[in-house]
Amino acid sequence: MDKGNIMSNDSIDYLIIGNSASGLAAAESIRELDGQGRIVILTEEEYENYSKPLITYYLAGRISAGRIYLKEESFYRENNIGLLTGARVISINTGNNSLKTEDGRSFEYIRLLIASGGKPIVPEIRHSTAGKERKKNLERYIDGSNYGNIGGIFTLTTLKDAIAIKEYIGKNKIDNICILGGGLIGLKSAEAFLETGMKITIIELADRILAATFDREASGIIENTIRSAGNGIYTGNTIEEIFTDNGRISGCRLKDGSQIECGMLIIAVGVVPGISITRGTGIKTSRGILVDDHMKTSVKNVYASGDVVESMDILLGENRNIAIWPLAVRQGYVAGNNMAGGEKSYSGGFFMNSVEILGIPSVSMGLTNVEASGDGSVEVKKELKTDRRQYKKVVIRDNRISGLIMVGNIERAGIYAGLIKNRIDISGIKQDIFREDFGILHLPSNYRKHLVVGEGIEV
Amino acid sequence: MRGKPGDEAMKRIFIKEEYCLGCRLCEIYCQVKHSKSKKIIKAFKEELVDVLPRVLVEEIGHNAFAIQCRHCVDAPCVAACISGAMQKNKNTGVVTCDEEKCVGCWSCIMACPYGAIKRDLVGRKIASKCDLCEDEDIPVCVKNCPNEALEFRDTGE
Repeated sequence: MDKGNIMSNDSIDYLIIGNSASGLAAAESIRELDGQGRIVILTEEEYENYSKPLITYYLAGRISAGRIYLKEESFYRENNIGLLTGARVISINTGNNSLKTEDGRSFEYIRLLIASGGKPIVPEIRHSTAGKERKKNLERYIDGSNYGNIGGIFTLTTLKDAIAIKEYIGKNKIDNICILGGGLIGLKSAEAFLETGMKITIIELADRILAATFDREASGIIENTIRSAGNGIYTGNTIEEIFTDNGRISGCRLKDGSQIECGMLIIAVGVVPGISITRGTGIKTSRGILVDDHMKTSVKNVYASGDVVESMDILLGENRNIAIWPLAVRQGYVAGNNMAGGEKSYSGGFFMNSVEILGIPSVSMGLTNVEASGDGSVEVKKELKTDRRQYKKVVIRDNRISGLIMVGNIERAGIYAGLIKNRIDISGIKQDIFREDFGILHLPSNYRKHLVVGEGIEV
Repeated sequence: MRGKPGDEAMKRIFIKEEYCLGCRLCEIYCQVKHSKSKKIIKAFKEELVDVLPRVLVEEIGHNAFAIQCRHCVDAPCVAACISGAMQKNKNTGVVTCDEEKCVGCWSCIMACPYGAIKRDLVGRKIASKCDLCEDEDIPVCVKNCPNEALEFRDTGE
């Protein structure tokens, strides 16, 4: 579907691949500086500007399909932005500033932004059939190219996925779901299914769920809560074989030999930056597209932002892929600003995430899986209140907070985010950071003044 | 109305730490303002448990001060919001949470360096924050502060 002034043979001033957090932030940022230049957004999806993180809230029935949209319907028209949905980019020619889409169209650009996000990983899994189907010649393995041929196997990263899952659950009366992967997407899916009263089984390769962002204590609280509600969690395990019946998934066998029946399998082992469209373009990539602090790629007039890039992690001091919403927005804003002649730079970021499981909110940020060092340069402070299902952990490196986990009570978590972001020396207030009433008043006086004096200063 | 649309000379609440007595009248008037009845006795007898103050008084010994949303120029809560509920008004600069759109993901709580956003768990779980009393000439916390520890004035002054 086309919206706005797409059909014209002139080069497009600002061509944006991707219509989610980063692409939209870029378009808005361009419009702040350039009210006239032609902006066109291409997206391979069928739906307009919906919020990807809301798809699990949609699945849980917490929001209606209408509420999933970030912007008003009039947004594109009011901002004079062209939108082309169902447009999958298959090749970019940076030599003559043009690109081609799957449906055979080509577009010329003056400046290009790649904000095409991440793609879910689907591992290869052995596949056996039950009953009569044994005679049919079916694929012996599923992978990213063919998992869709089997009913009930889904990834969950787009609204299309969520709608298909909801339909499948309704049509086949599913009440028992396996989730392969206990990371963020796996847990956000779990959150949604548990809210609708399903039984779930999470299968995670690491020794605990949320292994990348939680430590053993924090994971333990969430795992116990999920288990005590009658659900299964298998850690240090994976699916070795799936079983189907009449073309639909009916169960799976794990590495340890356990057999689990399920009506649906969500594959949530991870997401990788979708860099395949940069092939043959000269745009430098590692795990993601490499960018500088103006979100420029190695090729002139091509910018990139959001989940597809590797950008500065201020805690590691190196570039890496941190695929989270707030950074995608910030990077998109910076990219758009520079594309339109501005001079904003991206000051880097760090990982943060908020997830609530069965009524237990949690926040993790920075580098959390860190052990205290013998020389005292890295300190780890923990407080576990098992009976209240509460946990708090602060990692301090060289007197600066570099990691935080809060489970059960997340009030004022952002104060720690501010301390991390601004690299504030907390040597004078270490004794206060675990106080129940820890707040602005406890902060080092210079930083407190910076926060409080004057109107909302950017921190 | 405070100022014309597009007029960036916006009014904000300024905190004067040294004058705060820690009396918490700002919290009380904020609760009343955001209660259903907006009447102090009725609000406190019947609704108090349901209404969070959107200004928070912190106190250590004799030091106290009241803090509410700073309506940041570059608001981290708006960038973090996954539902489009948290918005910064282009004309007034006021940051508000559209409670209809909020899904209670708590990303804003994770991002706000002031700790000025709370979880409102009564009814549908949503984020609760200062709206700068947009329908009042002066926000009620400022108006009712007995020691002028909160001030409402143009950002340029």
